[in-house]
Amino acid sequence: MGLSVPAVAVLLVVLLCLDPHGRVGSAPICAHGSSGCHVPSLADLFDRVIQHSARMHSLSNDLHSEFEQYFLPSKNHIRKIYRKCHTSNILTPNGKENAQKLAREELTEVILKLLMAWRDPLFQLHQSMAHQQDFNSFSSNKALEMGDMAHELRKGVEKVAEKMRVLGMLGNSVTGLSAAEAMLPLSDSGEAMSDYELLYCFRRDSNKVQNYLKILKCRIVPEHDC
Amino acid sequence: SHPSRGPHFTGCRSREQETFRCWWSAGIFQNLTEPGTLRVFYQTKNALSEWQECPDYTHTVKNECYFNKTFTHIWTSYCIQLRSVRENITYDETCFTVENIVHPDPPIGLNWTLLNVSHSGLHFDILVRWAPPPSADVQMGWMSLMYQVQYRVRNASHWEMLDLESGTQQSIYGLHTDKEYEVRVRCKMSAFNNFGEFSDSILVHVAQIPSKESTFPTTLVLIFGVIGLVILLVLLIFSQQQRLMVIFLPPIPAPKIKGIDPELLKNGKLDQLNSLLSSQDMYKPDFYHEDPWVEFIQLDLDDPAEKNESSDTQHLLGLSRSGSSHVLHFKSDDDSGRASCYDPEIPNPEDLAALLPGHSGRGDNHPLVSRSSSSIPDLGVQQTSEVEETPIQTQPAVPSWVNMDFYAQVSDFTPAGGVVLSPGQLNSSPEKKKEEENEKKIPFQLVSDGAYTSENTARQLSADVPPSPGPEQGYQTFPTQAVEGNLWNGEYLVSTSDSQIPYLLPEAPPVPILPPVSGYTVVQEVDAQHSLLLNPPSSQPAICPHSPNKHLPAMPTMPMGYLTPDLLGNLTP
Repeated sequence: MGLSVPAVAVLLVVLLCLDPHGRVGSAPICAHGSSGCHVPSLADLFDRVIQHSARMHSLSNDLHSEFEQYFLPSKNHIRKIYRKCHTSNILTPNGKENAQKLAREELTEVILKLLMAWRDPLFQLHQSMAHQQDFNSFSSNKALEMGDMAHELRKGVEKVAEKMRVLGMLGNSVTGLSAAEAMLPLSDSGEAMSDYELLYCFRRDSNKVQNYLKILKCRIVPEHDC
Repeated sequence: SHPSRGPHFTGCRSREQETFRCWWSAGIFQNLTEPGTLRVFYQTKNALSEWQECPDYTHTVKNECYFNKTFTHIWTSYCIQLRSVRENITYDETCFTVENIVHPDPPIGLNWTLLNVSHSGLHFDILVRWAPPPSADVQMGWMSLMYQVQYRVRNASHWEMLDLESGTQQSIYGLHTDKEYEVRVRCKMSAFNNFGEFSDSILVHVAQIPSKESTFPTTLVLIFGVIGLVILLVLLIFSQQQRLMVIFLPPIPAPKIKGIDPELLKNGKLDQLNSLLSSQDMYKPDFYHEDPWVEFIQLDLDDPAEKNESSDTQHLLGLSRSGSSHVLHFKSDDDSGRASCYDPEIPNPEDLAALLPGHSGRGDNHPLVSRSSSSIPDLGVQQTSEVEETPIQTQPAVPSWVNMDFYAQVSDFTPAGGVVLSPGQLNSSPEKKKEEENEKKIPFQLVSDGAYTSENTARQLSADVPPSPGPEQGYQTFPTQAVEGNLWNGEYLVSTSDSQIPYLLPEAPPVPILPPVSGYTVVQEVDAQHSLLLNPPSSQPAICPHSPNKHLPAMPTMPMGYLTPDLLGNLTP
């Protein structure tokens, strides 16, 4: 108990840095052969990425529900449900079999395309929600967190893809990794999409990403009954 | 749905996020209940495709449209319409996406195991297990499910709900034995809000082990233990009351004087008290209250301007206030400063003059006249010249100044116990005073504030002074022959008048040549004739009463030498 405050602070920082669980985010993939570094397996990487995507989708669901609850009290939104998201141009498998039939590289590419397409729109969404008085700060923070998560998830999936390529699981036909470009969230008529539309579309796309990752993992990592 | 509605969709559901079904009702239009009259058309919005008819009308179920895996597109908006083709009327339309209509099947394989039973045997905990619905592909993770367990006492109306669980087991705590419980579970897709149907309820029941003897005495023992403790505590408090009182309420130390017993003060007699107190070198207690024939004359010293009201002294003196422009009011005497050693305060000559009966115009204000021996003649001389001139001035040292009126020297005792005072050696307007003095003599009680006269002096004085005409009445004041500087110490003479004016004039006999009489001497003893035997006057005025009295062992030195008749009686040997 005779430690001074700075010493305690330094100790805490050291402990946090040393504790592998204290860090949030994707773990660095150690170079092959380097010592003293815990090399996560592909399964672990997939698990982390899938967990991350689940969280992201849950956030988007919460935001969407809040928006619906406060701004669209009527249940008639089903009628006007059709919205053309800006990511509708990206061809995505619409079912489990379709996704399973898709090649790993294509599936990985789709995932990365989706995540890339949402980088700027999510930032826009956060900005828009932060400036509106209608949203409380909690929702605005959720939007910000969502954008960060999407960014990190993209980085994680890129790492997974890299690992897969290293392991030889992915062919060299993967070109989408570098070709994924950011897309502007424009609706069918060319105008910028509203917040609700963005939330609706992202909720759908994050669910897609989550399921695609699960399917990919099942195909890449040999597990029981997969 | 509204019973009076026309044909409408009653719902669409997907069980496993791979297929879905839709149902409709004909409503009140009974003529449309025939199969085929109402048809379902759908359109998938992403492809902007045409309206297509339901791919499969379920044969076994009425009014159901089934979309198999081929026609089910997740993350795709569907719009379906209920049409009567014959009439080309669209009765209902609804749009949805498949993942939003997923209601998973209920979990299967619900069972429970007993975790433990409480010591009292009244409660138990169980662990409930289940399996995910087989239709849901959870292995791959196509559907990630969250489960909710509910339980209730059998046939009760309210279900207890537990938190959502992502695993396939959950513990239930705090169930009562001898009660039958129902447990059921349902699930939903995580991040979606559509719960599936409940599973079948299972019954949970644990018989209560008859162990009444363990519970019943425990309560009784506890109750009696508490009661016993309380009784003990009360007894303890009562037995140790005194000590506790001291601890919690420490007594405030009473004022204490060393050597004096408070009990004696309460119960002791007056003489004992006197002896006690005198030995303490304390201020003498006030005896005044016990002597009804002693009274104080308290005079207020006001402005000379306020002279309209007649002063008490004037009343006392009985003099007309002719031409008197001054009213002497003396400040009422307060008790302060009456210490054992009384500091001499020499008053102003004018004040003296005012008090002296030599004042024609002013001398009528004072009740008593006292003369001093040595200093007064000088003052008196001054006064006669200053009589008409000097106004009477108030003095700050009024109390002492007031007293000086009342100091006189004891010269003799009357048989009745009165004290005869000797006049001073000062002669000032003796004629006038002589007359008045002879007429009005006032029983005069010497209450001396340390007044002493020596024995010799007293005898001399008594020898010199003719006996007073009336033992009860006339007393002559004798000038206190105090040494200069100690003029006003000690004696405090109070006159009680049953007549009008306690106006004492100094007798104007031929001034005897008296030895210098000090103002105070110590009373040594009282002889058989009830005369005070005083110490011979020393060169120094024995004013301070602390001078030891060697001749009177029976009576200790009294600092404030008050003499009362009672005391006099005690002094009798």
